[in-house]
Amino acid sequence: MKGASRTTPQTDDANAASGKAASTPLLSVRGLGIRFKTSQGQLQATRGIDFDVAPGERVGIVGESGCGKTITGLSILRLLPGNVAKFDGSIRFDGLDLATCSTSKLRAVRGRRIAMIFQEPMSALDPVFTVGHQISEALRIHTKLGAKEAREKAIEMLRSVGIASPERRIDDYPHQLSGGMRQRVMIAAALICGPQLLIADEPTTALDVTVQAQILELLRELSIKSKTALMLITHDLGVVAETCTRMITMYAGEVIEDSPVDDALLKPLHPYTSGLLRSLPHLSPRHADLPSIPGRVPSLAEMPAGCRFRPRCSHATKACEGEQTLQDAGGGRKVRCVRFRELDLPGAVDQRAERSKAVAVPQ
Amino acid sequence: MTDAAPARQIDTSDTIVSVRDLEVRFQTQDRRGMLRAIDGVSFDVRRGETFGIIGESGSGKTTVGRALVLLQKPTAGSIQHNGLNPQELPARDFRKHRRDYQIIFQDPNAALNPRMTILSSVLEPLDLAGEGNAEQRRQRALQALDRVGLSAEIGARYPHQLSGGQKQRVLIARALTLQPKLIVCDEVVAALDMSIRGDVLNLFARLQRELGLTYVFITHDLSIVSHISNRVAVMYLGRFTELGPTDAVTERPLHPYTQALLSAEPMAVPSGMREDRRIILEGEIPSPLDPPSGCRFRTRCRYAQAVCADQSPEWRELAPDHWVACHFADRPNFGAN
Repeated sequence: MKGASRTTPQTDDANAASGKAASTPLLSVRGLGIRFKTSQGQLQATRGIDFDVAPGERVGIVGESGCGKTITGLSILRLLPGNVAKFDGSIRFDGLDLATCSTSKLRAVRGRRIAMIFQEPMSALDPVFTVGHQISEALRIHTKLGAKEAREKAIEMLRSVGIASPERRIDDYPHQLSGGMRQRVMIAAALICGPQLLIADEPTTALDVTVQAQILELLRELSIKSKTALMLITHDLGVVAETCTRMITMYAGEVIEDSPVDDALLKPLHPYTSGLLRSLPHLSPRHADLPSIPGRVPSLAEMPAGCRFRPRCSHATKACEGEQTLQDAGGGRKVRCVRFRELDLPGAVDQRAERSKAVAVPQ
Repeated sequence: MTDAAPARQIDTSDTIVSVRDLEVRFQTQDRRGMLRAIDGVSFDVRRGETFGIIGESGSGKTTVGRALVLLQKPTAGSIQHNGLNPQELPARDFRKHRRDYQIIFQDPNAALNPRMTILSSVLEPLDLAGEGNAEQRRQRALQALDRVGLSAEIGARYPHQLSGGQKQRVLIARALTLQPKLIVCDEVVAALDMSIRGDVLNLFARLQRELGLTYVFITHDLSIVSHISNRVAVMYLGRFTELGPTDAVTERPLHPYTQALLSAEPMAVPSGMREDRRIILEGEIPSPLDPPSGCRFRTRCRYAQAVCADQSPEWRELAPDHWVACHFADRPNFGAN
């Protein structure tokens, strides 16, 4: 898939780092679909998910609650709840199909070659073990390092995620740390085995904006430095814009757009991506009515036939009633919209000119 | 901002709420510590405006909101509503008085009783107030629902049958039933998906135009507060650091903390449209149990000097209507490097 490796000049660092490997994706997901058993019968949560992640690439997966982004992240490591009725598709990771391989093979990948961090570090960290114990756990499981070396490595890792005096902090318990420090500990634990891919599910949603800026900067730097690919799952388009090189937009269990991040923001191809962007307050004139997307995300039991966004889309026509496929739109972009060639959708607006003018006014 | 809806004229001398030297302290459970949630805050809210309060978790913004609607007793300082001190009113008048000052909270699920229909939830404040007969009250509740765009049919449902956006509308309707003068909105759209936020924010704006409401909008989200507020106060560790007209605060921030907040906000724009300069603050907000001496922000401020630890900065009006608490904010080109 060429699409995975195309980026704009401003966002070339990840791909420069991956060099020739850009042509072979690190992770290649095809036809991924999950169906759950529920009291209302079987419900299809996601379907036909296709995407690639190149080595060292930073990919953002965005969408609103219930669009299937979290379950997509979890299914890559087969960390699925017990009520899964059907699991379709393939997840190729470096020659191995994670969707079908044995549990023991999967275990060798989990935490070592693919690591994951979550939104709420307090519930992901065990309150009765020191952070040092939890950071070095993966090392003890996956390597033959002795306790002393593991501890030293954990201290080094804590330092590299920006924790001051790590020699002391390593013996702290999670409750002794602040929210931002806990998320740093999670990142240290995730990266200690030097994974090729880090899946981060809303890693900064529970944090304050000034701390969020620190953690995002850290993730970006570590990903570039250690050539770890990053799959960042978030509802916040701003977070993706500032951290990732590519943006995958999901809606109602499907991938609806897959583009280099700057292209997607400037000239979105799917009406939903455009609608999301336009609903952000900082892209609208002050005090004016905010554009919003009418209606709501359909429930899993009542998915519309054809394009799933059709009932809420102001551009819907007869052609949208048929099943949609993720089409190649050129320039490393893909979109699930039959009308993408005819539509000219609004994207982000440059407000800097106005702003810098205002800043220049003497106080 | 030519195509913005014209900000309605606000009479700057017509004050609806006046807060002076407000302090709220909480004793810790072991009775040894004292948490300073609000540590000396003064401001006026003008009739018909939207007054935004922005701050990170632990800044005390929610406590300010609760104190404004008399849900939280101040430890010191005063709050005046329309020029009178509600705490001095006799109990009966006090109860009647506080109907004019309503609050809406963040989580619509926690604020609605799952075993009551929507209509009975909206009726409850009217029943407690006991005005008119049952049928008149029912009509008023239905009118309130209609005002927020919900049909009478919704009134017969239970909270779990509604979407998050609909539930938030119900809470707005409930706050409107007693025809308040002021509504404190505490993170009212934080729990909603972004495509729905716009709808709810538009509804708030429309109701303000139609009913002449005053809002105090409390949020951690700078883009929301700057979109809908006339004035913004920035709060840090129990104190205001800056207060001014929204455009001035977001475009010519005077306080280093405001500057850092603005630059930390992730913007959904391509890299070519982004400001290059990014201030990343070190560390996190200190504990309100043991706040730093002098300027509360100094432990994270890149301009901090000895004087910042020794003296609390004065609350100064450096530009018309634009207040700041920083020793150095009046220096030329401060924070512009």
